[in-house]
Amino acid sequence: MARFAGGKAPFLRLSDQKNQGTNVMMRDFMIGLLPVILFAWYKNGILVYSQGNINFLEMLWPLFFILIGGFSSMIMEAIFFYITDKEARKPKLLMKKLSTSYGIIPGLILALMLPLYTPIWVLLFGCFVANIIGKMIFGGFGYNIFNPALLGYAAIKFGLMGVINTAGGYFNVSELLIDSYAGATPLATLQVTQSLAYNTIVAPFGNLWDFFIGLTPGGMGETGFLVMIFSYIWLSARKVIRWQTPLLFVGAVFGLSWLVGVLNGQAEIWFPTYSILTGGVMFGAVFMITEPVTTPKNPLGKTVFVLFLAVLTVLFRFVGNLPEGVGTSIIVMNIFALPIDKYTAIIRAHRWKKPAIMQICILFGILLVIAVYAVLKAGSLYSLILPLLTIGGGF
Amino acid sequence: MIFQKTKGIQIDGYKEMCKNSPLNEYFNPEFVYIHLLQGNSLLKQIVEVGESVKVGQTIALREGFGAMNIHASISGTITAVKKVWHSSGKMVNALEIKNDFKNILDESIKPSKDIDSLTKEDLIEMMKNAGLSGLGGAGFPTYVKYQTKEDIDTVIINAVECEPYITCDYQFILTYPEKLLKGLTYFMKAAGAKKGVIAYKNYNVKIKKVLQELLPKYDNIELFEMNDVYPAGWEKYIIERVTGKTYQNLPSEVGVIENNSTTAIIFSDIVEHNIPLVSRPVTITGEGINNPMNFYCPIGTKVSELVEKCGGYVDGLNPKTANYIAGGPMTGRAIFIDDLIVNDTLGSVIIKPFKEELHPECLGCGKCAEVCPVYLTPTEIRDAFKNKDLDLINQLNTTKCIQCGLCSYVCPSHIEITDFVIRAKELLRKGAK
Repeated sequence: MARFAGGKAPFLRLSDQKNQGTNVMMRDFMIGLLPVILFAWYKNGILVYSQGNINFLEMLWPLFFILIGGFSSMIMEAIFFYITDKEARKPKLLMKKLSTSYGIIPGLILALMLPLYTPIWVLLFGCFVANIIGKMIFGGFGYNIFNPALLGYAAIKFGLMGVINTAGGYFNVSELLIDSYAGATPLATLQVTQSLAYNTIVAPFGNLWDFFIGLTPGGMGETGFLVMIFSYIWLSARKVIRWQTPLLFVGAVFGLSWLVGVLNGQAEIWFPTYSILTGGVMFGAVFMITEPVTTPKNPLGKTVFVLFLAVLTVLFRFVGNLPEGVGTSIIVMNIFALPIDKYTAIIRAHRWKKPAIMQICILFGILLVIAVYAVLKAGSLYSLILPLLTIGGGF
Repeated sequence: MIFQKTKGIQIDGYKEMCKNSPLNEYFNPEFVYIHLLQGNSLLKQIVEVGESVKVGQTIALREGFGAMNIHASISGTITAVKKVWHSSGKMVNALEIKNDFKNILDESIKPSKDIDSLTKEDLIEMMKNAGLSGLGGAGFPTYVKYQTKEDIDTVIINAVECEPYITCDYQFILTYPEKLLKGLTYFMKAAGAKKGVIAYKNYNVKIKKVLQELLPKYDNIELFEMNDVYPAGWEKYIIERVTGKTYQNLPSEVGVIENNSTTAIIFSDIVEHNIPLVSRPVTITGEGINNPMNFYCPIGTKVSELVEKCGGYVDGLNPKTANYIAGGPMTGRAIFIDDLIVNDTLGSVIIKPFKEELHPECLGCGKCAEVCPVYLTPTEIRDAFKNKDLDLINQLNTTKCIQCGLCSYVCPSHIEITDFVIRAKELLRKGAK
């Protein structure tokens, strides 16, 4: 007779199989970031070098910048573990803790959102806010409330944007040479010119195809719509993200922007297309609203969350004075991830039947009110509000 | 998403290991142990230690709800009342019978003369006397289902066997296809149903072939192909697929009774030969077994004897990093000591080594909520359970959980999320009292 180990059913786990489990998911997520990193390097480094505007070392700078973001976040987490947990001071345990904390990802994403000529100390400050304040003091991986990278970005945006603008801002050297750019980024231009005409907001940056490829000014990695489609396909195929989520977000922003356009007498289809191609909508859709920890967990919750995000993005973009809206709306909605998750879980459990009627009314009532408000406000009061807005930049 | 049907996902079967092992008959163990437990109720023994018993003799009674007779599975002498392991993970009193190897049958076991004249009530009485219970794993007394007052129009035979590893139902059907169809005919008669359906998984082409050859001889019986998903063997899932109707609590609400294929085969023996429930098929399999095999053995056989027949455990199996699972890998129980006894609900024993690893925290991917066949959100239930928030657990409809184990199965962080839901369910039951 032998004594066997205990355990809980089921005894069969997907995570025991090859190429499954959280570690592999995070690895796949980083592979998904790779095309974006390479595109950022191409656009800000290789392309400018080939035009003869910078030297060889400057060409490597964008790649270094992103890697510094990633590794410095990881090192900061290691230091945090070292200080707070005496047991983790042994190298072996420290490595283990780091391997289940995935500190490199917020740093990489943060670096991709920042403009090219961000001073390194600003990047490090952002990484500190992202990883230590945004993640570790909440209890580490799995417990954070806000998207760490976005929290870091917000800290930079509201505190240190002036430093970045002094140091060089959004334009790389080639872009500096183009005269037609009126504002820092396409959406800032929209605010400056207060016009919905193709010639003023799209033509200075080329045509919509340039927007699609991503050869417009903006954060390092957030402009390349095309490469992010590759990332999206890869991440969906590997089931790291739900394929519906980004599609729904981009679709909803498209639809709402079209409505706003129609109300302002710009019914042509290029306007909503322009709206989803700018301001990091796709970057947010693929890498941020799919971030598992800080968004609702059940499928219905994710759907509702994304609808809220789309409405808020449009609200901030066309009504508020945060022109690009995606990041802000994600940070705002992170706070509401928990109640949305709870409400939608109840709705799901009762299969949309009577016991959940209160939750259904509350959730969709609020959603409807904000949506109607956003569209109407952006529609009728658009020209009244715009002069009051100051120029913002970035994400 | 608004009009939700039950659903499932495809999972790996691991059935190749013993799918082609024919049903090995193992009818003469030296000792058998008849548990004095059926379902949730303790049994009243009606024989004393020292008495000699025959095959099929009633030796214990289940009383109260689901009252029925329990029979000796071999002939011999009652030697002791002992505590032995039961597949529910507890130690239970059992009657030890020493085999005299004479195989004397009880007087009641004789071929029935006039099967056609048996009425509905006769058939239900037969189920009760024979101690027939659901052999798929739940162990619910079969005759209780047939005592329903609702009009039944369809009897569905569940030949799906959706749990990985287990193959005994499959081999049992291939060995006795005729009996399956006969059993279904008798079930239809007992229910007064017009239609019989046999649901099987689409990759079991052999079952389809064998049954289709025999089908012309029987009226009103159809085959129904199920997709290869888990939990396709769940009662509600099958009934929704076959009839398109859904129900709240019991299948009889939509005029359906569902039985396991093994139950049907045993029932044909009960009707035709009056042999009560004394034996059942069992699969012994897993990576920890040398030659996985399917057995047809008396109830009460020691599993260790069957394991020996399979060539024992593989060399170098460390029991400390292996599970000894009674039942299927998705819903079964880990048994600590390898001294298990075959009872009516035990369809398989799986010995499966596992790896010990450090697992990360819940990252909130929501895969558990996505796969849940009854649309619960396990993560929310877990949080509510940790906060002991009974109200919220109730609002989240936790009692709907069928404990299929899919949420733990898909979890990338290896969290025992099914266990949290089960414990939340228990908390709700205790709190409600």
